[in-house]
Amino acid sequence: MIRSIQKAAVCTGLGLLVQLVAALHWTPFTFIASAVIGLPLILVGGVLFLRAVWKSLKSKPPGQERPGQEAPVQGRP
Amino acid sequence: MSLHLYFGSHDVVVDPRRGLKLRKLCVRERVTPRSRARIASAFAPHEISATKPLTSDGAEASLRILAAAVLPLSLVVALGVGVVLVAMSLLGVRPLAAHAAGRIVLLVGLVALPVLLSVGNLSYGVSESSSTRFCLSCHEMERFGRSLFVDDKQALAAVHYQNRLVPRESTCYTCHKDYALFGDVKAKLNGLRHVWAHYVTGVPEQIKLYQPYPNSNCLHCHDDSRRFLDKEVHRAISSQLYAGSVSCLSCHRIAHDMVKVDAHQFWQAR
Repeated sequence: MIRSIQKAAVCTGLGLLVQLVAALHWTPFTFIASAVIGLPLILVGGVLFLRAVWKSLKSKPPGQERPGQEAPVQGRP
Repeated sequence: MSLHLYFGSHDVVVDPRRGLKLRKLCVRERVTPRSRARIASAFAPHEISATKPLTSDGAEASLRILAAAVLPLSLVVALGVGVVLVAMSLLGVRPLAAHAAGRIVLLVGLVALPVLLSVGNLSYGVSESSSTRFCLSCHEMERFGRSLFVDDKQALAAVHYQNRLVPRESTCYTCHKDYALFGDVKAKLNGLRHVWAHYVTGVPEQIKLYQPYPNSNCLHCHDDSRRFLDKEVHRAISSQLYAGSVSCLSCHRIAHDMVKVDAHQFWQAR
């Protein structure tokens, strides 16, 4: 899950970066680049993130520990 | 020998023999390297010569600036903040993903905020693509841009632009988009074709309209205007004009006066 979220963050960051560069040098070409490269990258990032969260929720049955929580050790109170 | 200083529309002449003299200048007189730079700086990237003198020099200055523009600072800052937030989220994925609240922060930082930012950016970009500045940023359009400044009372583009019959910040778009239900969409799709031609297939030697100029575009504004209705000839052929069987351009022949553009005959505000 962590790796997928990292991939999503990279995609989203690149998309925003493309849009930022386009905004700093606004021409027909950068407008098209912003729409054709920037926006899809952000959408792909969003989809990757949601898919990672969905997979994580699906793979854990209800009641199981969440990431970051320690699993209860048997034999201890 | 005299020293000339330029202050706005006035020229202060310091002559040792005649003393100091303040003289109001017409635009033609003011065209010097210094005034040229001033005119160039006066054309803000987002407003094309709306309140500035209409000179050929000004047109060239505006066209030079038009080549590259920056979107509003607020939008640039918002995008920059978005990039920083995404970078921070990337660095803190592990601790954030461990808690429910952290995952909500990730959802906002990686999905909601970037999507909102890019939608805002693109919607601004689409509206910006209707601006005169944007249309003239392709060098193929430079001559058409200059035709807005020609000294010709018969040239439709110049008359409409110089008399403010159309908004100066969206001159091209106002006249060249269809006023039908999907006129905006069609204009934007045509704009994509222009970009494709500019970067990929190449621009034809003679730039032509995709279709004959529709009367409805003229009548959209002139339809019930007094100047239009007062002309006997308009009333006589009004049904043909509305039906499109007679084109407005069959009488008003000059849309863009390219002959005067090439001859550098531009209107000078005095």
